[in-house]
Amino acid sequence: MKRILIFVLLILGLAALEAPGARAQGDSVTVIQNATILTVTRGTIENGSILIRNGRIAAVGKNVRVPQGATVIDATGQYVSPGIIDAHSHIAVDGGVNEGSIAVSSMVGIEEVLDPDDINLYRDLAGGVTTANVLHGSANPIGGKNAVIKLRWGKDAKGLLFEGAKPGIKFALGENPKRSNFTPPPGVPRRYPATRMGVMDVIRQAFTEAREYRKQWQQYRERVAAGKKNVLAPRRDLKLDTLVEILEGQRLVHAHCYRADEILQLIRLAEEFGFKITTFQHVLEGYKVAKEIAAHGAGASTFSDWWAYKVEAYDATPYNAALMTQKGVVVSINSDSAEEARHLNQEAAKTMKFGGLSETEALKLVTLNPAIQLQIADRVGSIEVGKDADLVIYDKHPLSVYSVPQMVLIDGLVYFDLKLDILQRAEIEKEKKALQEKEKKKDEKKEEKKEEKKPEEKKPETKPASGAASREEETR
Amino acid sequence: MPDWRVHGLRSLVALVLLVLLGVPAPLLHSAERPNQPPYFAIRGARIVPVSAPVIENGTVVIAHGLIVAVGTDVAIPPEAWVIEGKGLTVYPGLIDALTTLGAPAPPPGPTPASPQQAMQQAARQQISRGPEDRPATTPWENPASQLNTDDKRLDNWRRGGFTSVVTAPDRGIFPGQAALINLAGERPNDWVVKTPVGLRVNFSSPGGFWGFPGSLMGTFAYIKQVYLDTEHYGQAWSLYEAGPRGRERPPYDRALEPLREAKAKGWPVLIPATWAKEIQRALRLGERIGAPTVIYGAHQGYAAAEALAAKKVPVLVSLKWPEKAKDADPEAEEPLREMRFRDRAPSTPAALAKAGVKFAFYSDGLATPKDILKNAKKAIDAGLPAEAALRALTLNAAEIYGVGDRLGSIEPGKIANLTVTDGDLFEEKTKVKMVFIDGRKYEVREPSRPTEPPSVNLTGKWSLTVNTPQGPEERTAHLTMAEDGTLSGTVTGPRSTGTITSGWVSGNKFSFTVYIPMGPRTTEATYTGTVEGNKMSGTVSLEAFISDFTGARPQLEAAAAWLN
Amino acid sequence: MRTGKNLRVEFTFALALGALVAAPLAAQKAPAVIAIRGAKIHTLAGAPIENGTVLLRGERIAAVGADVEIPVGAQVIDATGLEVYPGLFDSISRLGLTEIGAVSATVDTNELGSYNPQLLAATGVHPASEHIPVARANGITHAVSAPGSGGGGFFGGFSGPVIPGQASLIHLTGWTIEEMLIRPSVGMILNWPSIQTRTFDFSTFEFREKPFTEAKKEYEERVGELEDWLEAAKHYAQAEAKGSKDRFERDLKLEALAKVLRGELPLLVMANSARDIKNAIEFVEKHKLKMILAGGAEAWKVKDLLKQENIPVILRPTQALPGEEDEAYDKPFTNAGELDAAGVKIAFATFDSADSRTLPYEAANAVPYGLPRDEALKGITRYPAEILGVGNQLGTIEAGKVANLIVTDGDPLEITTQVRHLFIKGQPTSTDNRHQQLYEKYRARP
Repeated sequence: MKRILIFVLLILGLAALEAPGARAQGDSVTVIQNATILTVTRGTIENGSILIRNGRIAAVGKNVRVPQGATVIDATGQYVSPGIIDAHSHIAVDGGVNEGSIAVSSMVGIEEVLDPDDINLYRDLAGGVTTANVLHGSANPIGGKNAVIKLRWGKDAKGLLFEGAKPGIKFALGENPKRSNFTPPPGVPRRYPATRMGVMDVIRQAFTEAREYRKQWQQYRERVAAGKKNVLAPRRDLKLDTLVEILEGQRLVHAHCYRADEILQLIRLAEEFGFKITTFQHVLEGYKVAKEIAAHGAGASTFSDWWAYKVEAYDATPYNAALMTQKGVVVSINSDSAEEARHLNQEAAKTMKFGGLSETEALKLVTLNPAIQLQIADRVGSIEVGKDADLVIYDKHPLSVYSVPQMVLIDGLVYFDLKLDILQRAEIEKEKKALQEKEKKKDEKKEEKKEEKKPEEKKPETKPASGAASREEETR
Repeated sequence: MPDWRVHGLRSLVALVLLVLLGVPAPLLHSAERPNQPPYFAIRGARIVPVSAPVIENGTVVIAHGLIVAVGTDVAIPPEAWVIEGKGLTVYPGLIDALTTLGAPAPPPGPTPASPQQAMQQAARQQISRGPEDRPATTPWENPASQLNTDDKRLDNWRRGGFTSVVTAPDRGIFPGQAALINLAGERPNDWVVKTPVGLRVNFSSPGGFWGFPGSLMGTFAYIKQVYLDTEHYGQAWSLYEAGPRGRERPPYDRALEPLREAKAKGWPVLIPATWAKEIQRALRLGERIGAPTVIYGAHQGYAAAEALAAKKVPVLVSLKWPEKAKDADPEAEEPLREMRFRDRAPSTPAALAKAGVKFAFYSDGLATPKDILKNAKKAIDAGLPAEAALRALTLNAAEIYGVGDRLGSIEPGKIANLTVTDGDLFEEKTKVKMVFIDGRKYEVREPSRPTEPPSVNLTGKWSLTVNTPQGPEERTAHLTMAEDGTLSGTVTGPRSTGTITSGWVSGNKFSFTVYIPMGPRTTEATYTGTVEGNKMSGTVSLEAFISDFTGARPQLEAAAAWLN
Repeated sequence: MRTGKNLRVEFTFALALGALVAAPLAAQKAPAVIAIRGAKIHTLAGAPIENGTVLLRGERIAAVGADVEIPVGAQVIDATGLEVYPGLFDSISRLGLTEIGAVSATVDTNELGSYNPQLLAATGVHPASEHIPVARANGITHAVSAPGSGGGGFFGGFSGPVIPGQASLIHLTGWTIEEMLIRPSVGMILNWPSIQTRTFDFSTFEFREKPFTEAKKEYEERVGELEDWLEAAKHYAQAEAKGSKDRFERDLKLEALAKVLRGELPLLVMANSARDIKNAIEFVEKHKLKMILAGGAEAWKVKDLLKQENIPVILRPTQALPGEEDEAYDKPFTNAGELDAAGVKIAFATFDSADSRTLPYEAANAVPYGLPRDEALKGITRYPAEILGVGNQLGTIEAGKVANLIVTDGDPLEITTQVRHLFIKGQPTSTDNRHQQLYEKYRARP
């Protein structure tokens, strides 16, 4: 069955190389059989099956009947986990991930510049990532808007979007927004803020302004509602629109941070303005204020073991994720890098070594927990009936360093298949060769033309005709 | 466009020097022409009206700048200057749908004392701290109001069969307005057919990393904000004008004034987009800002034709087809994505035609009109019907810019802009014999040159050393010599690559003229000299400066050895 | 087999360099005898020994086997159910040379100037660096600390100086560098100049393409410069060998380079692209130098050449992205396996300091992509020792070798495996570190 599937996939896939991506019908029925299923929420099912219908998980268990006409993927000896969710990514962005010129860049958004052609989408997909929180960079206390995407390689920008995912925004604290580690070229003035005091000040100013802005609009609407004529609407400000969404709980805040004190400061500031920090990102000193993070209700998305690249990363420890988990914080492990994203499963495994998390707890760090943090856990993050069939089939346990994703499904469609990938390599080479030949031939044709015209070989006895003609014209 | 800063400064320095040295500006080109009669007739020619079937052996009659009759059996006024059309083909005057031809040079700024200071000035000028600073926003600029008729390209284009171009400044996010101009006229004002015909937008992020916007998403946000501001500005002023008493005066914003007018009058917004993903973005932006959208570029339009058709958005297809980078690392792996793109880009027009998208062609920086037609031919070779290609160079361009009622086809009542050739427009050997602009005849003459056939072949790659006043400067010339000695090719200097617009070899003497793009300014350099074997020497003249140069052609073996 | 005496000879050698004042090894603790008993011993010199014993005496392994008699008075470590492996070897790191990447005051990796062959990493190694115990906790017992920049510049080229200095081999413990030092110099680093058409403009944050001709010209100039240095060193060596000391001035730079020319020191050639590797090989052939390739992202493209020339490779981190858009997504993972299959000797390295602890995973990630697991393990133990000329002292668990070994509760390549005991120079060595301390401290926060 699998062979046939692969054959079919191959034909479909190669035919649609320009727009690869899903290689099966959306309304099809697929069954993954004989696998060890790591559901994350309902334990491990040995020798189990997953029934996928219309892109959703329709059944999970030991005794799943295979409907007639279903595509069967035999996963004997293999493991199925929920698709990996990367809570902090910068892939698939055109024209820069930072609008770093200004301290508050909440008017910009990743969604507008998503790059569906970025090969890192495919590379990360091949590492089991099915969903990514694509964030603005960390150059500003209040950065730009994010885009939560599914790694539907081959689809256009719109097709990448995780439909229905709540919008978010990037904040950043500490060395990056205060620009500690690089200086502008000569002639370019430094940008405010340059201290942690200033960072907090910028955020406070921005939200003070946003409150005023909201008030102006409320007053305007009231006047209009009261039948007042000729009232000038306040100026729409895209920067403040976004901040008002935050104040109203319509937009999730993902705050890049390192030091414990700045984490606490932001919690207090957010509380003062009546909004929540959804996730603290990187949050390498989160373990120092885990209690406060948990009390605020924020999630924490951290690196497994990066440290010491700057001062605020010097108190980082690989125990961070485990310690925060143990203190009641919903924790995820993120990549912040197209490369790191390829082995987030391995990064999660490090929390078993450093801090003693259980297998399920570790796996949650890159599946269910980031889903909870992004408020998409009703759709993804575990293998449960009704959730999107975003799945990774590994040859070994995904928390083992030796495991390799064999197939990755999104919405029940196979977006990555290792066997197919290997077959496609030759196809790509072939096509490139053919195109090179074609181009070469064109060049040769040109050369030939030139050859024919070489005066050394063919002595031109004709006088330049155009010269004569032009003289004729002159005497018109 | 980081390169531009350097260009700008260099040209600035040149300009300042020119002024200091008291060199007179070049004379106007169409200064002294004899009067012509108001009536013309081309008799017995092949007429391609575009809006109607081809007329073999037909006659076109022109009176007072307009086409008054077309057909096989039309009366020729006795006063008419009759041109025997045997062997000639008459087309509607060709239109280049987007250029910078005749756009004025940027104004000179203060003279920097040192290169370092120049860099700093450039950096500071571009530091904007938000949308309120209106970075790189000059929508009031309009080439029609300050047409630079000295732009050498205007003549070249006319000689190449183009009678009209749409021209707009191209630097900045809102570089300015587009004007449709004819390529001749008594006074600069006479050149203008219609202005403005559109508003150009770019997705440059002029701030680099340091000033706003410093990213593509920043530029998008900025454009959207500017349109919101325009709306608010309009409301504020309308309310104020309706009753200024007791109302605070809204601040004047020179950037928003033209945008307000654009919105009110429905000027199309020209949005650049090359790849399919960019086309999608541009379509979304166009919807968002709520102005009629025209997309320009569109090389990967073959993958977005349906989306374009669905939105009924017209397209200006750049004829500067993507090419493999010159002097690229021979061992560098090129992505299949880009190879396919290069291979398929010329099939875009065919795909657009099939999907029913209205499109016109534009030169997009191509150096000569010959290249425009040559590249249009590539689209034909890739499946575009020749009639559709012609339409893209004539009527479609006119219609997209809202002047289909006066330009773009040979119909009675339309402006008498005609292109007369000695054969099919897309045949390489075909020559443009004359053009009519506003009913006035312009002969096309080849520049004269020595008649002695070439005794040497200049084809090959040459390393040139030019002794400029600032010291020696290296350039590389890729020359190709035709049988009759005609030269073509490119010259690459430290700052840009220029294309040879005309050139010849005669005996062992040669001369070639290079068109050099310098931002919105253009200039020409002419190399003249003699060749001995693999060495050349002579002089190069640029504006008023003359420098010596020498050149050498490296042994082919050496080059080949490296490639292996 | 080398003895302690030979080690001392090497210290004298260091003295001759004028770089170090060697302290006698007698300053170390009096030799004790330690027996590790009941473990599965992976000697990497033969088949694993089930339920075996390793006997450590002083700095050395005294005996290893299934029936080793434990002397009376020996400290006995019961390792039943555990496994013993040679200590892990990070064969190119920045350990001790950098503490906080963004703070230049703590970074001693790159000296000014392009040619500093006289510089010795050991003279800048900070024994109290917090990175050292962190790496150690994951089983790294010794490492090469190398000057020069990070893992290899943009697009496969190595930026920075051409010759940043010599790499030192150190134990990852010691109160002073002298206690840490195994060999002051195991190789001269050469960052092979690359033809780089792509450059990054920091003022605009944009990449720019340079014409190939120009880039190639620059490259040729740099190689020419390198030729000049070698030529000068050749003449210096000749003067040194045949001339009188009074008749030429000492030149520390040329003196250091002369050792490379005499074959006393291998060149650790940093190169990633196939072209760079080929060019570098051609260059060392021409000058008859000993070469170890370091980096080798595209080494798979020239594996036959590497095999033919018998050039070993210290691979850059496996966990990397492919260099080209169309390159197979797993190329960085399959590189090691392809080289190994072609018969090229490979070692793994982190080229880093803070990340040195991830060394086992760089090896492990090559395993599911074609590298036999034992070869991966040898790539972080035995092979780097052999490649760097210390195979007779380190890399396997054999009697007479320096007793750097680890006792684990499982496969050291597997992430979840814990290092239970660690021995450096025969001494039980702590795995406590900054991270664990912070963990303990804040775990206890009420």
